[in-house]
Amino acid sequence: MSDRSVLELLATHPFTADLSEEQQAQLAACARIAHFEPDEYLLREGQPATAFYLIVSGLVSIEVFVPGHGPRPLQTVEGGSAVGWSWMLAPSRWEFDARALERTTAVVFDAERLRALFLEDCCLGLRLVQRLLFIITERLRAARLQLLDLYGPPRER
Amino acid sequence: MASPAVIDVNGLAALIAALQQEGYRVIGPIRRDGAIIYDEISQLNDLPFGWGDEQEAGMYRVRRREDNAVFGYAVGPHSWKRFLHPSPVVLWRARRRGNEWMIEEPVEDSPRLAFLGVRSCDLHAIGVLDRVLHHGSYIDPIYAERRESAFVIVVQCAHFTPRTCFCTSMGTGPKATQGFDLALTELVEPDAHRFVVEVGSARGAAILQQIPHRPAEPTDVTAAEHAIAQTAASMGRQLQTAGLPAALLANLEHPHWDKIAQRCLACGNCTMVCPTCFCFSVEDRHDLTGTVTERIRRLDVCFTTSFTYTAGKPLRQSIRSRYRQWLTHKLATWVEQFGTFGCVGCGRCITWCPVGIDLTIEAAAITGREQTTEGVV
Amino acid sequence: MVKPAIATPAATNPFFPLPFLVISRRRETRDTVTLRLRPLSDVRLIAQPGQFMMLSVYGVGEVPISVSGLPRRPGELEHTIRAVGSVTRHLVALHPGDQIGVRGPFGTSWPLQLAHGQDVLLVAGGLGFAPLRSALLAILRERWRYRQVIVLYGARSPADLLYRRDLSRWLQRPDLVLRITVDHPDQYWRGQVGVVPNLIRQMAAFFEPANTVAMICGPEIMMRFTIRELQKHGIPDERIFLSLERNMQCAIGLCGHCQLGPFFLCKDGPVLPYSRLAPFSEIREF
Repeated sequence: MSDRSVLELLATHPFTADLSEEQQAQLAACARIAHFEPDEYLLREGQPATAFYLIVSGLVSIEVFVPGHGPRPLQTVEGGSAVGWSWMLAPSRWEFDARALERTTAVVFDAERLRALFLEDCCLGLRLVQRLLFIITERLRAARLQLLDLYGPPRER
Repeated sequence: MASPAVIDVNGLAALIAALQQEGYRVIGPIRRDGAIIYDEISQLNDLPFGWGDEQEAGMYRVRRREDNAVFGYAVGPHSWKRFLHPSPVVLWRARRRGNEWMIEEPVEDSPRLAFLGVRSCDLHAIGVLDRVLHHGSYIDPIYAERRESAFVIVVQCAHFTPRTCFCTSMGTGPKATQGFDLALTELVEPDAHRFVVEVGSARGAAILQQIPHRPAEPTDVTAAEHAIAQTAASMGRQLQTAGLPAALLANLEHPHWDKIAQRCLACGNCTMVCPTCFCFSVEDRHDLTGTVTERIRRLDVCFTTSFTYTAGKPLRQSIRSRYRQWLTHKLATWVEQFGTFGCVGCGRCITWCPVGIDLTIEAAAITGREQTTEGVV
Repeated sequence: MVKPAIATPAATNPFFPLPFLVISRRRETRDTVTLRLRPLSDVRLIAQPGQFMMLSVYGVGEVPISVSGLPRRPGELEHTIRAVGSVTRHLVALHPGDQIGVRGPFGTSWPLQLAHGQDVLLVAGGLGFAPLRSALLAILRERWRYRQVIVLYGARSPADLLYRRDLSRWLQRPDLVLRITVDHPDQYWRGQVGVVPNLIRQMAAFFEPANTVAMICGPEIMMRFTIRELQKHGIPDERIFLSLERNMQCAIGLCGHCQLGPFFLCKDGPVLPYSRLAPFSEIREF
């Protein structure tokens, strides 16, 4: 896809919308648009973590495959958010699967080029890492609340 | 109302008889089980002539007095709550016939009670309970019935040292000025054991007419005022109440609560002796055949872990949180709920706490106020 | 001497339950049912959404249960009950034809009038959906009074979803935005997995914070996190309403069990604006 469509998506996606045009252009140069059909995987556990996904629309399930049980969904990620941060600490591999539940459109960044961009433009790098941190804390908060099983039956201690 | 009168000890006996004649069961102080408590009296000699008490934080003793005073002691473990907010009480009874239940209201002969010896603090406590159980959006029918028929004879506090009391701080005594049918101030001169009688209601005036009495002389009145003033001047405790609710609510996480929690046993004595603690629990009880069920209400204690059970778990689990609930309710949130403090300065909670926790000291510590003791130690 | 009587309007003793008949029972989940009740006496109890009744199982006890629906006939009541203790276990086992005792209605109601002309955001967690369902039904009955109506519902798992038939119908309505999420999906679930506060962010485009009334009900932790998220989106504290649960025994503000600070939740609640609770919200075990 052309850089121009990527730029349009970056201009409106909450993750990048309030960056400067120049910063958005820098990012667009490392990215492409991808579409995923229902049940198609964005990334798989064990594979090298080489991309960062901004979810534009659709629904993605973060899951782990448990032998004897099949895929166990942990959380879903919807349009306006992002998937994947293991790429920040290279070299690394994905720890979970990400599978599209609905037809999903994403802006996919090349992780190596992103990491290089961060070192070149530390300011941009810091701003993006802060946003990634925000997403990670949101996921962690959700995971912790889910762990509490708040809606479950009152249990004896 | 009418000007004060004087009765002697025989007059007191006649007063008891006159009330009984009118169909009242007279409740007054008696000495039993090592304390001066309130129960039904039938005649003059049931009263604790010549007995007094000694109270301090965590300590209560009765002791013989050197004179023959009838009312020469501070309040004991009982309060009038015992008779106005009785426990346990059957709220209703239901019988099963087939698949249907028929509810019955247990009707007791409503007792007409005369309270002999209501101290000013306890009179205010009755006023506090009135606001909770008698003047709120729901009126408790059990309290209402007993309260409306109760005949109140105040005894103004005199001839003892109020060690754990602080009615002067709470504006609740030692002199009661209204809300009673009759008020007695005892004068214990050896050759002139008598009572100055103030009339507070038409009902009180009518009873006075039936017993031998004479008009009070200025000397009687002066002696009475002097005796009451002595009590006021020798208060054992004090509590600064200005701004107290806000100060307590601003210090809900003060480290001092932890200090109290280390001592408090959550035994609930304070709530049981407190004349204004009103919380009750409601439970259903059925017989072995399962055809009769009763709903019972019983005074409850906020210090228990089950008090705040919600879906089976206590919301106030730590003793710290339960003591804090009791104290902040009594001295802070009660004001927002009912327009007065819950505390009337009777000092019972200080006396009857097995570890001697003194809420005047604790409240001062939490709100950072100076704690001074007035009067005789 | 005993005065036999079925409690009637003349018996104004607030401790007396009125006899009601169970006329229908719908199993919602493994441990939750919805009962519809019809009065056996002449008294008509009219409850507003958000209020609760005290339901008595004779010989066992009495529990506070919010109304979860609107009456189909005057005086009828609908309650969703989960079996968590002895009384509720008995209630869940009742069938049409059984008799129970009912007192009420008690407590404050959801601020439907305040929400006229406003966007309405209902956020439900688990069984918290029961008291909110009555509000939603009342809103939908006069849908034209409200602007955007958004319902966010988080449940433990797909098997724990309440009111499934209602949910399917509501998902079809173009004048209602309904988002459901679960903590633990099953193999068939293709919806969202995660917590309710996350759904709020997704809905940001649908409501105008300055003109929104939010009503929340669920476990206190869920409500706490939801409130934070709503505050982040600019909804003022006085327009965020919660329904709180406490030990309730008399339901008439006399037994003292339901106190939260100065509030008797049976009288001043269970529905309260967060602005009144905020001073105590950070105090543990208060």
